[in-house]
Amino acid sequence: MRRRTLIAGLAVGAAAVLAAAPPLAPQAKAAKDSVVIAWQVDPQTWDPNKRTVPVRQSLYKMVYDQLITQAPDIKLEASLATKWSQSADGKTVTLDIRDNAYWHDGTKVTSADVKYTFLERGKAKHKIDLVRIWRNVADIETPTPTRAVIKLNKPMATAIPWLAFLANFVVPKHHVEKVGADGFADKPMGSGPYKVVDYQRNSRIVLEAFDKYWGPKPKIRKVTVLIMKDPSARVAAVQSGRVDFAPDVPIREVGRLDKMAALSGRIFPISRVILLQIRSDKAFADKNVRLAAHHAIDKKSISQALYAGKAVPLSIVAPPGTPGYVKDFQFPYDPAKSKALLAKSGFSTDKPLKIGMASFNGNFPGDYDIARAVVSMWKKVGIEANLQVIEYSKYFELNRGNKLPEATLYSWDNAVGDPEMFTGYLMHPKLPFSAWKDMDVGGRVMKLFGIVDYDKRIQGYKDVAVYASKQGAVMPLLQSVTTWVHKSNLGVVQYNNGWVLPHKWSWK
Amino acid sequence: MSGEILSIILRRIAVAIPLMLLVSVLVFIVLRLIPADPVAMSMPPNATNEDIEALRREMGLHLPIMHQYGIWLGHILEGDLGRSIAFGQPVSKLIGESLPATIELAAFGALFATAIGLPGGILLFRLRGRPSEQAVDVGSTLMMSIPEFLWALFLILVFGVALNLLPFAGRLPPDMTIPRLTGFLLLDCLLTGNLTAFLEAIRHMLLPALALALGTVPLIMRLLRSSLLDVIGEDYVTMARLRGVPERRVINRHALRNALLPTLSLMGVQFGFLFGGTLLVEVIYSYPGLGNLMVEAVRNTDLPIIQGAALIFALAVLTINLAVDVVYIVVNPKLRRAR
Repeated sequence: MRRRTLIAGLAVGAAAVLAAAPPLAPQAKAAKDSVVIAWQVDPQTWDPNKRTVPVRQSLYKMVYDQLITQAPDIKLEASLATKWSQSADGKTVTLDIRDNAYWHDGTKVTSADVKYTFLERGKAKHKIDLVRIWRNVADIETPTPTRAVIKLNKPMATAIPWLAFLANFVVPKHHVEKVGADGFADKPMGSGPYKVVDYQRNSRIVLEAFDKYWGPKPKIRKVTVLIMKDPSARVAAVQSGRVDFAPDVPIREVGRLDKMAALSGRIFPISRVILLQIRSDKAFADKNVRLAAHHAIDKKSISQALYAGKAVPLSIVAPPGTPGYVKDFQFPYDPAKSKALLAKSGFSTDKPLKIGMASFNGNFPGDYDIARAVVSMWKKVGIEANLQVIEYSKYFELNRGNKLPEATLYSWDNAVGDPEMFTGYLMHPKLPFSAWKDMDVGGRVMKLFGIVDYDKRIQGYKDVAVYASKQGAVMPLLQSVTTWVHKSNLGVVQYNNGWVLPHKWSWK
Repeated sequence: MSGEILSIILRRIAVAIPLMLLVSVLVFIVLRLIPADPVAMSMPPNATNEDIEALRREMGLHLPIMHQYGIWLGHILEGDLGRSIAFGQPVSKLIGESLPATIELAAFGALFATAIGLPGGILLFRLRGRPSEQAVDVGSTLMMSIPEFLWALFLILVFGVALNLLPFAGRLPPDMTIPRLTGFLLLDCLLTGNLTAFLEAIRHMLLPALALALGTVPLIMRLLRSSLLDVIGEDYVTMARLRGVPERRVINRHALRNALLPTLSLMGVQFGFLFGGTLLVEVIYSYPGLGNLMVEAVRNTDLPIIQGAALIFALAVLTINLAVDVVYIVVNPKLRRAR
C-alpha cells in the first residue's frame, strides 16, 4: 500500500512538474530544412516487402516507392506507375512505369524491378509477405522498360488497391541480388524521397533528401527519426522542443500541448475501425441477443469520453471517406429496444445473459477502456460479460482454435479503404482474421471475392456490410483516430490513413 | 593466488554449464506453453489458413516441444541462435549489435550505484542516532520503492523537460554520427578521435544510467551501514581509536575495508539485476540495447529472440557473479586461505 502511495505520489508530482514546465527551449529551434520526428516503432527490417505492419508503412514510404500511392483523401494516385488498368476477367494488370525514377545509387527504375519484386523474389524463396499477397502471379511480362504486365492465374479483384497497400514497395533488383535478401534488410536502397544515411536499431534513423527523386524536391532535406516507443517519452520530447513532430500522443496530452503557443495538437479520424468481432455460435447464436447487444452500445458517448468526440460512430465496418461507406444506414443506440429483444429471448437485468468478452489492453489507444464501457452498457440492459484481457498474439491462437469468447474487441487498419480489406477479410469465414463462421453472411462475402467489376463489387460490399450489421454478425463501434503534436510553424500534410510523409512538409 | 582464482573459475564454469542448460529448457518450454500464435500475427491481411499452417511447418512449430528443443539446442551448440520471426535476421547478429550498448549502460549504472551508494552508506553510518538519520532513511526507502521505469520517466520530466538540461533520446544528438567499430559507443568515439561525440555520449547516458542505479543505491547504503555497525565494535577498531587515530580515518582505513566485503557480494547480485533492469529503461530512453530488443521481441512473441536474449541475460548474471567471486578472493586474504 505504501509503495503504491509513493508511486501515485510520484506520478502526481511528475504530472505537476510537466504541467509547470517551461515552453520550448530556445536551443531546440530546428533548422529550416530539417526535422526531428519521435516515432513509435522501429522498422525492424529495411526490406519493405517483408512485413505488413501498418504503423511501419510511413517509414518505408520515406525511402521506397509504391507503384500506386494515395492522396491525402486516400484516393489512389500515380507513383512509380503513371497509368494502370485491369482486364475485365481480373487476371491481367497492366502498368506504365515512369521513366524518370531512379534508385538511390543513380540507376534507373525499370519494369525489370517490378518483375523482380512481385515475381522473382518469390521464386528465389525470399521469406517475404509480398509473396503470400501475390501468390497467384503466374508471370510478369516486361515488353519495355516502362511497361509491366502482371498475369494472374486467378482473378484478383483488389489487385489495384493492393499495389498501394501494405508491403507493396518496388525494390531494386540489381541491389538485392548483389547484397542478398539479408543484406538488403540492413542496406536499404529505394527510389523514394529520402536515402537512409544512418540507422541504429531501436534508437534512430537519419534520412537525407535524394536529389534525383522523380517527385517535387522535398523542402525538408534531412529527417531524423528517433524511435521513442514510450508515449510519455514522446510527450516529453515534443514538449521540451527536442523533437519537431510526435505521433500517437495520448489523447489527454494533445489538448494540453495544443494550448502551448509553440505547439499544435491534432486528433483526427483515419481509415481504421474499432469493432466487436462476434461468434456465430454459443450465446450469440441467437440473433435477438446479438442485436440487443449492439443496440445497447452508446458509441457517441464512448467517443466523447475516450477520443474527445473525434472518433466517428460506425454502423457498418467501413468508415466515411472509403468506397464501401453507406451514408444512409444507421444502427441506432436504443437501450429500450435492446431490453425488448433480450426479453424475447428470455433475458433481463434480473435474469442476465452471461457471455464472455475479450479485449487487448494497450494494443491500440483506449482499447481496454472501450471494453469496460461496453461491459457496463451491456449490464444495464441485462447482459453480463466476463471481460478477459488477452495479448495480441493470443488472439490469433484463440481464433485459430475457435476458442474466442462471444465478443472480441478488435481494431483493423486499412489504409487504402477498399471494402474487401474491411468486410471481406473480417467476415470471410475461411480467412484467419474472421471470428464469424456462419455461412449465411459468410457465403455472401465469399461470393464477392470473385467479382472484378468495380461498381458491382463495391455495391455488393455495401449491401453485405449493412446485412451483416442487421444480422448482428459484427458490431462496428468507431472509426479510430490518430493523434499528432508538432511545432506550430511546421506545416504538415494530414493523410486520412494516418501516413506521416515529411517530404510533403515545410517550415512556415 | 592465481591458482586459486583459476580453480574458482573452473568450478564456476562447471556449475554454469548445467545451469545454462536448465535455463534453456525452462525458457524454451515456458514459451511454448504460452497460448500465443507468433505465426498468424505476422501474416498479411489476405493470408489463408493454409499459409499460416505452411509457415508453422517451415518454422518447425508443428513438432513436439522436446523435438523442437533438441533442434534448437543442436543449433546453439553450432553457434546458431536461430532467426528472428519479426526482424527476419539471425538472432546472434541482432544480439551482437545490441549487447554492447547494454553492457555500456549497465556498467555506467553500476558505476553510479557505487559512486552514490558507498558514500551514502558511510553517511548513514555517521548519522547514526541523530535526527537526520531518519530523514536519510526515509529518502533511501523512497528510492528503493520506485521501479526503474518510473525513475526513468521522473528524471526525463525533471532534467529533460522542466530544467531542459540533459538529453533523453538515443545515444547521440540527431546531427551527430559515429561509425560503428566495436559497438561500444564510448570506445568508438575515442577510436575515431571524436572527443565532442564522447562527451555527448556520456551526456546521453547520464539519465538512463542514473535511472538504473537509483534502485540499487539504497541497498548498498543500508548494507554498508549495517556492516560498519558490525565491525565498529571489533577489537582492531577499538585499538585504532585507543591509538588516537582520528574517527574519519578509523572508519575509512580500518572499518570500511572489512565492512566492504558483504557489500561487494550484494553489489554482485544487484548488478545482475541491474542488467535485467535495462529492459524498460532502454525502451524509455530509445537506447539501442538488448533490453529494448527483448521488449520488442516479447511484444511480437518473437520466440527465437526471447530465447536467445534470455540465455545471454543468464550468462551475463553468471559472469558478473563469477567476477564478484574473483574480486572477493583478491580483496579478502582470509577467504583465500580458507579455500
